[in-house]
Amino acid sequence: MSKIRAKEYQGRIDQALANPKLQDALHKFGDAFLIAREKAFSDYDFEALREEIASCKDEVAENRQQYLEQFITNAEAAGTTVYLAKTADDANAYIAKLAQDRGVKLVVKSKSMASEETHLNRALESAGIEALETDLGEWIIQLAGQRPSHMVMPAIHMFKEEVAELFSKVTGVEEPAEIAHLVQVAREQLRQGYLDADMGITGANIAVAETGGIALVTNEGNARLVSTLPKIHVALLGVEKIVPTIEDAATIIRTLPKNATGQLLTSYVTWIRGAVPCGDEEKELHLVLLDNGRSALAESPHCKDALRCIKCGACANVCPVYQTVGGHVFGHVYIGAIGIILTAFFHGLDKAAEIVRACIGCRACVTVCPSNIDLENIILSLRETIGHEEGIGLGKSIVFRKVMRNRKLFHSLIRAASLLQRPVTGGSRTIRHLPLFFSSLTEWRTLPAVAEKSLRDQWDKIPQRIEKPRYKVALFGGCANDFLYPELGIDLIKVMNKLAVEVSYPQKQNCCGVPALYSGDKETAVALAEQNVAAMLEDDPDFILTTCPTCTMALQRDFVEFLKDNPVWAAKAKRLAEITIDAAGFIVNQLGATEVFKGLSAPEKVTYHDSCHLKRGAGVWREPRELLTTSGRQLVEMDHADRCCGFGGSYSLTSHPDISKQILGDKVKDIENSGATCVAIDCPGCMLQLRGGLEKKEVDVRVKHTIELLAESLS
Amino acid sequence: MSQTALQKTFCAAAEAVGAEVTFVADVKAVVDYVKPLATGPVMIPQFASGERLGLATALKAGGVALSQSNLRQGAATASVGVTGANFAFAATGTVVLESTAEDIRLATTLPEHHVVLLDPSKILTDDLAAVPYLRTFHNNSPRNYLAYITGPSRTADIERVLTIGVHGPKRLHILLFSGLSNDPLEI
Ligand code: SF4
Repeated sequence: MSKIRAKEYQGRIDQALANPKLQDALHKFGDAFLIAREKAFSDYDFEALREEIASCKDEVAENRQQYLEQFITNAEAAGTTVYLAKTADDANAYIAKLAQDRGVKLVVKSKSMASEETHLNRALESAGIEALETDLGEWIIQLAGQRPSHMVMPAIHMFKEEVAELFSKVTGVEEPAEIAHLVQVAREQLRQGYLDADMGITGANIAVAETGGIALVTNEGNARLVSTLPKIHVALLGVEKIVPTIEDAATIIRTLPKNATGQLLTSYVTWIRGAVPCGDEEKELHLVLLDNGRSALAESPHCKDALRCIKCGACANVCPVYQTVGGHVFGHVYIGAIGIILTAFFHGLDKAAEIVRACIGCRACVTVCPSNIDLENIILSLRETIGHEEGIGLGKSIVFRKVMRNRKLFHSLIRAASLLQRPVTGGSRTIRHLPLFFSSLTEWRTLPAVAEKSLRDQWDKIPQRIEKPRYKVALFGGCANDFLYPELGIDLIKVMNKLAVEVSYPQKQNCCGVPALYSGDKETAVALAEQNVAAMLEDDPDFILTTCPTCTMALQRDFVEFLKDNPVWAAKAKRLAEITIDAAGFIVNQLGATEVFKGLSAPEKVTYHDSCHLKRGAGVWREPRELLTTSGRQLVEMDHADRCCGFGGSYSLTSHPDISKQILGDKVKDIENSGATCVAIDCPGCMLQLRGGLEKKEVDVRVKHTIELLAESLS
Repeated sequence: MSQTALQKTFCAAAEAVGAEVTFVADVKAVVDYVKPLATGPVMIPQFASGERLGLATALKAGGVALSQSNLRQGAATASVGVTGANFAFAATGTVVLESTAEDIRLATTLPEHHVVLLDPSKILTDDLAAVPYLRTFHNNSPRNYLAYITGPSRTADIERVLTIGVHGPKRLHILLFSGLSNDPLEI
């Protein structure tokens, strides 16, 4: 792992975190975006649209050569010159040479992420050709000598005062920092450029195989000028932009603006096919189709879905990490979740190695992606690849490989830890300060102490009195429930017994493996999957209950995926997945027993925090709310209830504690503003994070697992 | 959807994105509308429905200075561009212009005002209903430049504040003119 690279990265994080104005702007933008987006889709079926886009893009990826040839044949028939560029340098060289051959002095450009990807402006400059960006955001960035921090709004990180300063340098007079005025300055300053330029360069949002034409989806109108006024038009676009038919293009066009900016449609959609008239002559149209890693991406079994991306930018808009540090930290040229993946393939693993760990895994992006890309999963697999290439760090590697895989060793070490921590806990359940170089970990949140007696070690002594159990279920506790919060397991027994369900705790269960997987050690995760499948099925339970949604996802989804090609384990893993269910979902959906709790509690004001993996992984969010309100509690929704709390396991402990802290701060504010005296959650990880944050800030709101609250109702 | 409902939806959607929609009954009303906007020459490219209407002649007679050919030369001073439209979509308030002829493009990109004459009978439901027409354009001419225009030019690139009129027209005027044209393949 490159130490210098890591240090530079940390420097960028620190710098971004020291810019609260940017964070504030990105948070507000994220909120406004979601509202506008929802409104834009109100008459449309988003799920259907994204399935259509995904299947259309998959069809093209699978038959790449065929559609590429069809596109080229049709484009050439319409008088277009098509160039296939293997690499960024190849594309740049072609365009620079074309410009030189035609004696071009000035190029006007409209927005093209592909040209950012290839660093085309730099290449043109070194060939002695001036390139003028005309998209307002791109022009601002060009004047500032920066790179875009967002795919749709390149200058989203800048403020009007900075823009005014840049523009003043261009005009030579002091321009006031008023947005309408600055827009007018850009209009006037750039106008002559279109008329003077000999070449216009655009990107393209779509290329249609059926016609050999391209489509541009824009707002400012500059792409229309760039593609009309100069004699030569060059469009630089990734090969993945090809779709089969006009209908497919129409589907993307009706989805993209709604998902990018919440507009029903952008001001302009421009379809260009072939060499159209230009003055008294014919336009010279060149399409440069860029590969630059796309074929490799199409071949990657775990990552290939990323090629479906239509570059709407939504995955960044809703991302809590992006909102905290912006695209100059969380991205390279392409930013946000998709940026991690595209960077790895287009710019190299090395460029992606830091940001691949910056994803907290909350899956907010997955819900809004119009191309139905499971970004989180792809990022995890990339992390694994990078883990292989660079190692995951010696410490982690020992913990995962040598300790976690050996259950007995792992558990006896935790028992030992429970004794060793005494000097810092003084016997209390919470760690408020840690000594020495660990101290930063408890500066912004308290940490729970390891319980004196784990759940597994006290299980057999907990009485269960049910004469005729309806079901026999096994609890998959997960590390937090087992070692940090054993009382949660005891409450689960109480609640289940009331519902005539008997609960067992298979002693051979081990960590679900997610911490290893998230750190890039899939091998350990697979080994743990096997151990757990065997342990949990041993006594043939009717169901397996979970109290931690991250474990739920591991049992329901990951184990099946890991073991699907293993003849010994595949069927068992599938069986395990089928009978695994989170505790709240079990009570509501399986037992239909919500009414048992009816009116049993005082009308305490409770707010509910949706855990990422419960809502966006298991699809459970109504159930706990139903249980809480039926039990007599008053549910007051906080703002951003389903926004990540910033925990993310080792994310908050080792890899990105400073980002985690900020995200937690946002959550604490939302909880405080809700006016609730209790926040209910269904995840021990969130419990750790929220308790830690609220305690440290001395906010008097208790944090309780829904199961604990149900147990309270019963006492 | 009935034609009246389509028209209503179209007007609401177009106005929601900042287009100005007006009903006009005859060529005189068009002249009266354009004249006050014309602080410089009016770009009027050739288009079928306009020719039939004798629009250029009427504008000239009304004392409006026109730029009818060599539109590139007039780029700097033209204040208004006047065109017809092939058809429109109700759902998004969009007008569609087959803009392969360069003059159509110049008249709709350079001036601050773009005035579009649209026969309301050519309002379709949405972009999907347009696809068969797009295909016909392609079949009729293998080289083409088709434009969907939805409201005036806009940007939100500075602090995400919506600002109208960055590079393209600052105002888009849609004049609904019954009986102008019933052919979606002509402008
Ligand atoms: S990955 Fe999905 S959400 Fe992100 S930019 Fe691409 S299409 Fe949009």
